[in-house]
Amino acid sequence: MKKTNNKKILKGIWFYARVILVVLVLLFPFIIMLSISLKETAETIGYPPTIIPRNWEIQHFFDIFNANIFPFNKYMRNSLYIALATSVIAVLLGILGGYALSRLKFKGKSLISEMFFLVYMFSGILLIVPLFKMLSAIGLSNSREAVIICMIVQTLPTAIYMTRSYFDTIPAELEEAGRVDGLSRMGIIFRIVVPLSMSGIISVFVYAFMIAWNDVLFASIFIDSPELMTIPIGLNSLFNTPDYIWGRMMAASLVTSLPIVIMYGFSQRLIKSGSTAGGVKG
Amino acid sequence: MSIKKKKLGGSDTKFAMFLLSPSILLLVMLIGYPLIYNIVISCQDVPLNPNLPSEFIGLQNYIEVFKDPEFYKSVFVTLSFTVVVTGISTVLGLILSVFLNRPFFGKKLVNSIIILSYVVPAVCLIFTWRYMFNNIYGIMNYFVIDVLGITDKAPLWFDQPASAFILVSIFAIWKFFPYAYLSFNAILQSMDNSLYEAADIDGATSWEKFKVITYPAIKPTLVTVVSLRTIWVFYIYTEVYLLTKQVNVLGVYLYDMAFATHDFGKAAAISIVLFVFIFALIMLIRKKVLKVEED
Repeated sequence: MKKTNNKKILKGIWFYARVILVVLVLLFPFIIMLSISLKETAETIGYPPTIIPRNWEIQHFFDIFNANIFPFNKYMRNSLYIALATSVIAVLLGILGGYALSRLKFKGKSLISEMFFLVYMFSGILLIVPLFKMLSAIGLSNSREAVIICMIVQTLPTAIYMTRSYFDTIPAELEEAGRVDGLSRMGIIFRIVVPLSMSGIISVFVYAFMIAWNDVLFASIFIDSPELMTIPIGLNSLFNTPDYIWGRMMAASLVTSLPIVIMYGFSQRLIKSGSTAGGVKG
Repeated sequence: MSIKKKKLGGSDTKFAMFLLSPSILLLVMLIGYPLIYNIVISCQDVPLNPNLPSEFIGLQNYIEVFKDPEFYKSVFVTLSFTVVVTGISTVLGLILSVFLNRPFFGKKLVNSIIILSYVVPAVCLIFTWRYMFNNIYGIMNYFVIDVLGITDKAPLWFDQPASAFILVSIFAIWKFFPYAYLSFNAILQSMDNSLYEAADIDGATSWEKFKVITYPAIKPTLVTVVSLRTIWVFYIYTEVYLLTKQVNVLGVYLYDMAFATHDFGKAAAISIVLFVFIFALIMLIRKKVLKVEED
């Protein structure tokens, strides 16, 4: 009996040892990110490199929000504008389209859902030339709105697909009650179905927000002036300029990642089943 | 609202079209139309000045692309990159999901750590990698020279094609394997443990259990994960472009042709070729994946 107990403990230790090894390898770049953001500039480019800062320095986190020395606030406003506009519209269209595909019987339904799925597999890189020419022709070159339009199209198929699968889980009988109460068909969607699938709708919002927040391709095609740059292309444009200070870049990276990590964690907690986990494209 | 109800109340088809029309309109305008417009541009000589008219030149752009040795190099690099990244990230995700498929203390935390690289903006991860692999003061120089003593001169890391290819591959694997992990995890969690218990009683090895119980259960997901990842890695752009100028995958080749060389006609021709590749791939796997998606 004791022998098997020991064996069990050994097995447990061996298991945790491997888990910790995996976690350390995966986390290593994040540890570096954090460590640089807390170092003085001289130490970030010193050799041999250190992991734990010799002198702790949190000044970078204040510096990046100081508009006189670092353009982060400006970038953040642009990123927020693009990500919010994208996700609000994607959620709205997702609700409408998802409801149609989940509840209504109509001709061409399977064709339409197959079309959405095909679009889901495409990425914008295939269409950058015509999209650039088209949106420039209608005066949207160097504008955040061009990025928003492209991000909506990028996220729409998944938004509809995700919303649809949430709506599928809501019993149709609940809609009957609304009908008896005299709600319109739109009223049924927004007063009954939507409130019941709030957790699903939040995860669609988070998905679209994340895709737009992280986007580099469309922002770099459509935005030229530093005034309109989003965080990713703005920070990247600082490479090889006097503003390029490793500590600030890493502090900015952490601040940029934080809302996404929090939102994603929150939405994961809301989803009970993992069935839509694969809905995130990247 | 009430007017709409009267108008649309009768038929499901009308209401469905009403609900779907904004989405369909957007996709037709911004996916459908550009797809065709792309073909037109690919047969044109597009001048730098947008006010000048483009000139129809037939298949000239395609001929030039197919004559360009850079193009074949790019196809080769892209194919190798796709196979390496898709293969390894899928296997890694699968191994980890099987390995961690048991209740243990801290599982939620470990899961959150695993998906970090997947959700954090690529740019932030890229800055860190460029710092770690800096030719002068990067911490990886310290590891290979002073700790492990593999070389006495720092490698060029991202500034040399072979090492850049390896590093970009590792980066992409690290960034994308959580997708496979999450997908497999969802299946494994919903599986019935009694099958494994019965196998244990029969004295089955881990490999036998995987082959007979796990593999059949995850096979549909495996097909989906591999298919989608293949397509997405095939036209990867952001991660490669921001990490190095030494790995010229098709996405980068296309982007540079459009926005560095400013040859829109040729860039459009490249994207048509890329499109044909991807479309063939989609057609090949469409039936299988769609079937899985519907389950």
